[in-house]
This record gives sequence, C-alpha cells and structure tokens, in this order.
Amino acid sequence: MGLEMEVMSEAAPAAAREHGLDIYPLTRYYFGARDAAAGVPRGLETAADRALRLKANFAAHGLRTSVHGVLLVELFDHPHLLLLQVRNSSFLLPGGRLRPGEEEVQGLKRKLSSKLSFVDDDQAIEEEDDWQIGECIGMWWRSEFEAIPFPYMPPSFRAPKECIKLFLIRLPMSRQFIVPRNMKLLAVPLSQIHGNAQVYGPIISGIPNLLSKFSFNVISD
Amino acid sequence: MVSSSSPVVNVYPLANYTFGTKEPKMEKDTSVADRLARMKVNYMKEGMRTSVEAILLVQEHNHPHILLLQIGNTFCKLPGGRLKPGENEIEGLKRKLCSKLAVNSPSFPPNWQVGDCVAVWWRPNFETVMYPYCPPHITKPKECKKLFIVHLSEREYFAVPRNLKLLAVPLFELYDNVQRYGPVISTIPQQLSRFQFNMVSS
Repeated sequence: MGLEMEVMSEAAPAAAREHGLDIYPLTRYYFGARDAAAGVPRGLETAADRALRLKANFAAHGLRTSVHGVLLVELFDHPHLLLLQVRNSSFLLPGGRLRPGEEEVQGLKRKLSSKLSFVDDDQAIEEEDDWQIGECIGMWWRSEFEAIPFPYMPPSFRAPKECIKLFLIRLPMSRQFIVPRNMKLLAVPLSQIHGNAQVYGPIISGIPNLLSKFSFNVISD
Repeated sequence: MVSSSSPVVNVYPLANYTFGTKEPKMEKDTSVADRLARMKVNYMKEGMRTSVEAILLVQEHNHPHILLLQIGNTFCKLPGGRLKPGENEIEGLKRKLCSKLAVNSPSFPPNWQVGDCVAVWWRPNFETVMYPYCPPHITKPKECKKLFIVHLSEREYFAVPRNLKLLAVPLFELYDNVQRYGPVISTIPQQLSRFQFNMVSS
C-alpha cells in the first residue's frame, strides 16, 4: 500500500478551465409581446389538477426532466439574469419539461423559442430559432413532486421524480425577445438574487453561486 | 436520463483512505480580527490576495462527502490557503495540499489531480463577508478565493497535522447550513450538482 497512484484521466484539460462568457448590454436587446400561448394557462390549473397530471406522466414516462436557460445581460456594470414573472408573483427561468425521449439541447431550444420568441410550442420548427446552448451549470432533484428540490440525488432507495437542469445560454450581441402577454420578462441583478430564496426560491437564488466560476466579458461599443 | 454533457467524477469509499498524523500546523492568527489585520498588511505589500482551496470527495452509503479540516471544536475549513505572489494556481494548490494532508516523505511525492474550478468568491473589504461575484462598484477587491475539485485516486494515505481533525461531511449536511459551515462551504453542493458521481463501492 504505497503512494503509487495511477495517472487519472480526469484531470481537467486546460480548455475546461477557461470559463469566459461574453455578455452584452441590456440596451442591445428588443422586447415585445404576443398573445398568450395556447394550452392550459398556468393561472387556471389548480394545484390538485397539476399533482394528478404529474403523477400520470410519471407513471407513463418515468423521471420528469425539465431544462431551463440562464440568460445574462449587462446593466450598470453588473450581470443581470433574465427572468419571467407570472401574475406579478412567481419567478421562472425560461424552459420547461422535456417530451419523452427528447434530447436535452433540442428540448431547451424548443422551450426557449416557445417562451421568448414568436414560435408556438406545438408548431414544427422548420427554421430553428438559433439559441446557443452552453454547458449545464447545475442540477436539482425532487424526490416527490411537491417536495422542495435538492442539488443532489435523494437516497438511493428512492427513485427521484423530477430532475431540473440549468444550462448557460450564450446570447448573441442583439436579439428580439417576444414574450407571451401573461408574463413579464425582467432583468434582475445577481446581487439581488444571491441568497434571496424567500423571493426567488432555492433554484434561482442559487444561480449566482453556479455562475461564480465564469468571468464575464462585457462587450459594449 | 444520462446526458453526455455531465462530466463524471469517480468517488471512492471513505474506507479506502488511510489517515495518519504528522506534526501540528498551527494557525497563523488567533482571532478573526488578527486575521483581517494581517490580511491588510499583506495587501499593502502584495496587492489582492488569491487563495485556492480543494474539494476532495469520498463516498459513504452512496452519498458524496467532502473532506474538511476542523480546527478546535467548531470551525471547519477546506484544505488550501494563500498563493505566494505570482504563484500558479494549480501549483499553489498542490503545495497547500501537501502541506496540510500529505506525508512529508521525499520518496513518495503525492500526485494530486486538480480538476475544474467550481467556484470563485470575492472579498470586497477587510471584513469577513464574501460574494460569488465581484460586487458592482468594487474596483479593488481584497481577496479572490477559488475552489477546485481535486480527483482522488482509489486509495490514498493522508497525514493530518496533529492539531487538526479531518472530517468527511455529507453533502446533505452542508446544503443550506450557513450557520455551521459559512456561505462558501454550505453552497458547495449546488456547485457540484452538475457532476455525475460514479459511486465506486469497495
């Protein structure tokens, strides 16, 4: 039992240590509205209905995976996160549930277009909206649908019901955001989100921690 | 659903690792006030302090645990410390790991596999508070602290300074436990959440 150690192939390549992200000023982006998306509006589905729907989906398809995008802009020399707000209360990251068998990046592009562009969720996207999906920065797990999420898998004897994955999105230097009329799109500073689980919940308030390793490169004229 | 985008980290059982002792390594400061005062003196001489710390993972009951050094009865910290002026981050971290955890033997130089940086914390003033971003309008932060995941091999021998205790603390104990572990250590579970842990059993 000496200290002979096999050379591990897990040592991160130099490229992986490069964690730079270009972000652009908020003023480079355009914000418009459109009519609310078709399908069950969030406001009308009761909690009981939702619980039943999720349970039925789990029985049919197993683990529910949702994917969400972390979109960043610069304002007042500080990175801001783009958040959707529903009914002046709950804050959401743009994203949603993957269809059974759907690939993550594909699903996330579909959801981002559905929430932030003209494209309707049900439409086939022929000319795919060009989203640059970056790396996964965090994952949360729920052991029950109503339970609070945790950043690690539940104890091995309990199969998780839901996995929530957050992806960094690299925005182009300019683009148009078209948001359904029942939602608002806000740019919230990281300093306001950090540690503020009371207002934003554990997932959104933990985002500054997940972003800390990135160095933001603000590109202004 | 396993995704190719999640990097895999092999985590071995705590029982695979042997812990011996070595000569004590005393803290340079006896109080928080002393520590901040010494930080100020160093800042005047050398500018912003850069510190590096290591996240070493083991598993028990198929749940990841982090190795923490306990000083006295309560205060826990990650193995690591301050870089010398101009020192490379990875080399400095290896130096600190050797100092805190390795057997002082020239014939068995440890082979630390330093992985990704998982978090960066900034100290804007000579105070204890730190943030995971450089706060707006702070042009001269006093300290930048970087946390790296360090991949352990299947078996290792650690020698811990006699005045310190080495603990393996489960992620579920650290999560959201700011009072006991402070903001840097208690948020490590989120920062590790993107990894897929391969729990190797004995």
